[in-house]
Amino acid sequence: MLLAGGQGSRLHALTSHVAKPAVPFGGKYRIIDFPLSNCINSGIDTVGVLTQYRPLELNAYLGNGQAWDLDRSDGGVHILPPYMREGEKGTWYKGTANAIYQNMGFIELYDPEYVLILSGDHIYKMDYSKMLAHHKASGAACTISVLEVTLEEATRFGIMNVDDSDQIYEFEEKPKHPKSNLASMGIYIFTWSKLKEYLMADEADEKSSNDFGKNIIPSMLAHQEKLMAYRFRGYWKDVGTIDSLWDANMDMLSPENGIDPYDTEWPIYARTPTKPPLYTGPNAKVSHSMVTGGCEVYGTVENSVLFHSVQVEEGARVAYSILMPGTVVKAGAVVEYAIIAENTVIGEQAHVGTSPDDQNDSEWGIAVVAQNLKVGRGAVVPAKAMITRNVKGDDKKC
Amino acid sequence: MLNKLHGIIFAYRSNPSLRELSQHRNTCSIPYGGRYRVVDFMLSNFVNAGVSDVGLIAHANYQSLLDHVSSGKDWDLARKHGGLRILPPFGYANKRGDGNYHGRMDALAGVYSYLQKIRQDYVVLAGGDVAVNLPLAEIFQSHLDSGADMTAVCTSKLNSDPRGCDYFTTDENGFVTDVAVNPTTAAGLESLEVYILSKELLLSLVDHCSTHNISSFSDGVLVSAVHNLKIHAYQFDGYAARLQSVAGYFARSMELLDPAVRAQLFAPERPIKTKDQSNPSTYYGPGAKSINSLVADGCIIEGEVENCILFRGVHVQKGARVSNCVLMQGTVVQSDAVLKYVITDKNVRVNPGRMLMGHSSYPLAIAKNEIV
Repeated sequence: MLLAGGQGSRLHALTSHVAKPAVPFGGKYRIIDFPLSNCINSGIDTVGVLTQYRPLELNAYLGNGQAWDLDRSDGGVHILPPYMREGEKGTWYKGTANAIYQNMGFIELYDPEYVLILSGDHIYKMDYSKMLAHHKASGAACTISVLEVTLEEATRFGIMNVDDSDQIYEFEEKPKHPKSNLASMGIYIFTWSKLKEYLMADEADEKSSNDFGKNIIPSMLAHQEKLMAYRFRGYWKDVGTIDSLWDANMDMLSPENGIDPYDTEWPIYARTPTKPPLYTGPNAKVSHSMVTGGCEVYGTVENSVLFHSVQVEEGARVAYSILMPGTVVKAGAVVEYAIIAENTVIGEQAHVGTSPDDQNDSEWGIAVVAQNLKVGRGAVVPAKAMITRNVKGDDKKC
Repeated sequence: MLNKLHGIIFAYRSNPSLRELSQHRNTCSIPYGGRYRVVDFMLSNFVNAGVSDVGLIAHANYQSLLDHVSSGKDWDLARKHGGLRILPPFGYANKRGDGNYHGRMDALAGVYSYLQKIRQDYVVLAGGDVAVNLPLAEIFQSHLDSGADMTAVCTSKLNSDPRGCDYFTTDENGFVTDVAVNPTTAAGLESLEVYILSKELLLSLVDHCSTHNISSFSDGVLVSAVHNLKIHAYQFDGYAARLQSVAGYFARSMELLDPAVRAQLFAPERPIKTKDQSNPSTYYGPGAKSINSLVADGCIIEGEVENCILFRGVHVQKGARVSNCVLMQGTVVQSDAVLKYVITDKNVRVNPGRMLMGHSSYPLAIAKNEIV
């Protein structure tokens, strides 16, 4: 069960039209491709995707699941929005646990022994079958995947305090003084009969906020259920903020630090339109960057991730930036330390973003321009700006 | 007019002049344009014109073709009703008794029972080995409007070897008055081997040819019927590439580096579809150089490429210099190797420091899976 209803308010310029899991990532993908590909690569062929916030583009993207080999006559991918029931008013998903509660009927259709709960905003490659084997062997009611982080980082995560056998005895959300460095990755395997019991009890509790981290897990601990931590070693990144989204994209450029997209043993699938090969022009300079089909690069591209059909004109320079599908960087423009969303046009001689070397203070940050906008000729978009409207330039002069 | 046209692609031809390139495949499944097989163009032309049923006539060496088109899902041709049908030579014996297709009429006779079951009133016949982006919906409309028995798509831009083509002479209304088959010099309008005719006429032509032991479409239908049938020539002067020899393949590939050629061949309103492989983006390393080159997804470029066509998943390692080359899927050029005017087929590996040089008039072609 993949929780994909998140609004992603901290990414707001990028999520004004799409749910966070549908945000483009890593040149070819959207965030949701990672958990979905992990599922099929792990041998899971029945996936429910719980949608709520701006689901249209996400629904269209998932389609019948063909891109992930999840188009199946038995199982496959199912989009699960909140819905009306007879005799009561339909409600939105009140929390992560409530979202699953509302879809218990769907889960029962498949009569599973175990249920895997995932979220749609993390970038990682993981074999869930190994985690399931761990869960079965330990006989736990719930197994939570954890990542070892530094104690400083631990203050930003939900932290699992465990005994010698990695059995969880306490869960602390963003502790000020962490006792452990095991951060929850938001990946849970439940024995379904147990989860059902707790979901029903949680729903009956009017004071509950119906959330896995806040309610279900603490309640299970309070009832002496066996909860195990499953230690994951490898790359994992929450891409819930502009900075972490930018970081994770940059990590894609150095597979030794992050995720190797070229590894054919664990492919990440995506649904992308067929575009002709990319073209680099006679004066193009491209280094340490990812570039995708349909791009036309005549200028300079360094340390950047270009999605399909991006145009970088002659004399333009793109550095340390993420250019989503169909963006155009006109001649002479500079885009640095920026994220430009789909089909936005950066006018001639415009300057978007600044290098931290030029502005090394607290005002610095990644500049973001939302989709379908125009940044006019010669316009300047400062660092850390979040642009959601057209920016006027000096177009009249030309 | 949607769904009134049925597509037939002749996908059985082999061509010895393509040497290494057609060793493992027929001419339809030769990789072209960085990520396509030639047959993708005609399949996409059909689909973009609303053709929902397509028969692909295969004969020998079609494993690579089957692997590529699969169920047809990448062209939206995997259908419950209609869709893509691959037509292998099942139990067909022609009058010569050797089981080969000696011409397009032979091939059509070989799939006669399929032709009878076509549910559309019109049929478009096309070769699968021409890379062209045709406005087929318009061509079909023009066929209906012209009142012709048959429409032949042709071009006034002659850049093929005439010995492998047909040429039309037309009157002032665009109707064909004479046909020259495989002449030594090109004259008139060159056929792009795309013909539209009614199902009824097609069946009667196949009957006629099979009872008169005629296997060639050019000789048996075009030449002998030119005065009995009204054949309208539809002139299409956009880019068209016919792959007839290794040098021709090389020249047609290099033409793709011209933006004007790409704009015609990859017109966004009529996208060319191909098998989806979920490749990641292409990565350029810190010291990479990529000048005037077409590069498909999934490549890793750490060396220098200039005037090249790179297919999916090519790896050019540090210090390698590749210029004026076509490197097909999965080619690995290891460090400090130098390649000029080379065509490498799929999964070729060039070991470190090797130097390979051909010439534009005789590019060096390296067969699939070879290690240099």
